[in-house]
Amino acid sequence: MNERLKSLYQTVILQKSREDKYVGKLNDFSLEFRAYNPMCGDQFDLQILIEDNSFKCLKYSGSGCSISRASAAVLCEHLQGVELDTVRQKVELFLELVDADSDKQPEELTDDENLLAFAAAREFPERKTCADLSWKELLNQLDTLNQS
Amino acid sequence: MDIDQVKSQFPIFRQKTPTGKDLIYLDNAATSQKPQSVIDAITNYYSKEYSTVGRGAYWPANVNTVKINQVRSKVKNFLNAQSEKEIVFTAGATDGINKIARSFLAPKLKSGDVIMISQVEHHANLIPWQELCKAYGTELLVIPVLESGHLDYEWIQKNLSDRVKLLAVSACSNVLGIKNDIKRITAMAELSRTPVLVDAAQVLSHNRVDVQEWNCDFLVFSAHKMFGPTGVGVVYGKQDLLNEMKPFNYGGGIVKEVTFMATNYQDIPHKHEAGTPNIAGVLGLGAAIEFVEQLSQNETENYLEELTNYALSSLKTINGLKIMGGEQDKTPVISFTIDGIHPHDISTFLNEEGICVRAGHHCAQPLLQRFEIPASVRVSFAIYNTKSDIDKLVMALLKTQAFFS
Repeated sequence: MNERLKSLYQTVILQKSREDKYVGKLNDFSLEFRAYNPMCGDQFDLQILIEDNSFKCLKYSGSGCSISRASAAVLCEHLQGVELDTVRQKVELFLELVDADSDKQPEELTDDENLLAFAAAREFPERKTCADLSWKELLNQLDTLNQS
Repeated sequence: MDIDQVKSQFPIFRQKTPTGKDLIYLDNAATSQKPQSVIDAITNYYSKEYSTVGRGAYWPANVNTVKINQVRSKVKNFLNAQSEKEIVFTAGATDGINKIARSFLAPKLKSGDVIMISQVEHHANLIPWQELCKAYGTELLVIPVLESGHLDYEWIQKNLSDRVKLLAVSACSNVLGIKNDIKRITAMAELSRTPVLVDAAQVLSHNRVDVQEWNCDFLVFSAHKMFGPTGVGVVYGKQDLLNEMKPFNYGGGIVKEVTFMATNYQDIPHKHEAGTPNIAGVLGLGAAIEFVEQLSQNETENYLEELTNYALSSLKTINGLKIMGGEQDKTPVISFTIDGIHPHDISTFLNEEGICVRAGHHCAQPLLQRFEIPASVRVSFAIYNTKSDIDKLVMALLKTQAFFS
């Protein structure tokens, strides 16, 4: 297996894609949305319970490749307990992390290894949509929330 | 057949992929590679003989006008149509289907009418009809596909009636690779006087088509899936139908006499070809037909059948690999899943080995829903593929499986 593939399919991504800690449905939630990639059919439903002005609990369900599943899992993990005011900043940081056009090195953006693993998507432009699928849709939802 | 000699006509295979591998191109159902003769036809036109057609009485316009007419004649012979008048150049199969939907069917439709398609259709032969149904209160009836990948012909027999104003069906599924029995369908449709449109985009690189034997009313195809350029294709239509229809588009090149009060149109096929055509594309299509015709049809079909059978038996040795549909009436298209590995991950791993496959829903989402699969891997072969390509594919799949296990 070559180095490029190793960088994309790091252990953390494989582990997160198989982990079921955040897989499932919430009985009670404040926000529910679907992240869907019509090009490949990857589809996740995300549910978020907002309490005390922060993301109290997050779950995802659906199907997709290991990159998109791991990304949804890390989104849930990374945003759990995060205050509403800082959610957007964290989402935008992730999107910059996977963006090959960013002028910042991934390590300048974060030292969180779970997040850094996705920076390899910069080398695989065809897989960027897998890495940022759930995050981009969450950003759309935040925009809608702000407007309303 | 000397496959090395055939393959040597495709310049893309002379280079290495960005990962330093030989290119193993297995996405021919999406689009096929181009032989030098097609590339030369296009570059020669742009570099040495560029002009319009049908409008200029000068060199090189007269040369190109003759050449375009020659390509129309080649297409006529290629499809065994009765006349060049039945051959209309379009931007591709999708364009052709949309034009038939708009110019032929839409003006006839009324609420309560039915359009019949099949469950294996590519989105291109589904959505134009769905939109007509929305606009005209027409019902869309869908021929079910059996687990084997064959259409339910008894269902067609039961559901055809004079309410069905068009039956649109592909010559073979772009996902399952199973051929549909077009002769059987047109024979049934004749009884209810239902016109039949055949989407032949998938078959022409490996099978010959005879529109008179099939007795279809319309047939569409794209050049790019049969070694020709993108952005060009053909609508074949029976003369009375093409005559009866309004022009596909309105504009220059299709008229006899124009005043501000009224316009008279040219005869078919020119009536349906408004605007300056895709001249380079049509010339490229001509070269693609020459390329296909220089190969023995029997040898091509036998070679691809042997290759497909070899691929089927090789792939089946992989644990957890499931092939969609059966093996009867199979064209060189195989879709499969592997337990526990998503098709996109497979595609990325294969790409590193220089192997191009398609992962996803292949523009046929309802078909994948029918088989309860969110996505599959599809491999599809053309005349330049070899058993060695398949061996490398299987090796790479086993490596991928080992990684994910």
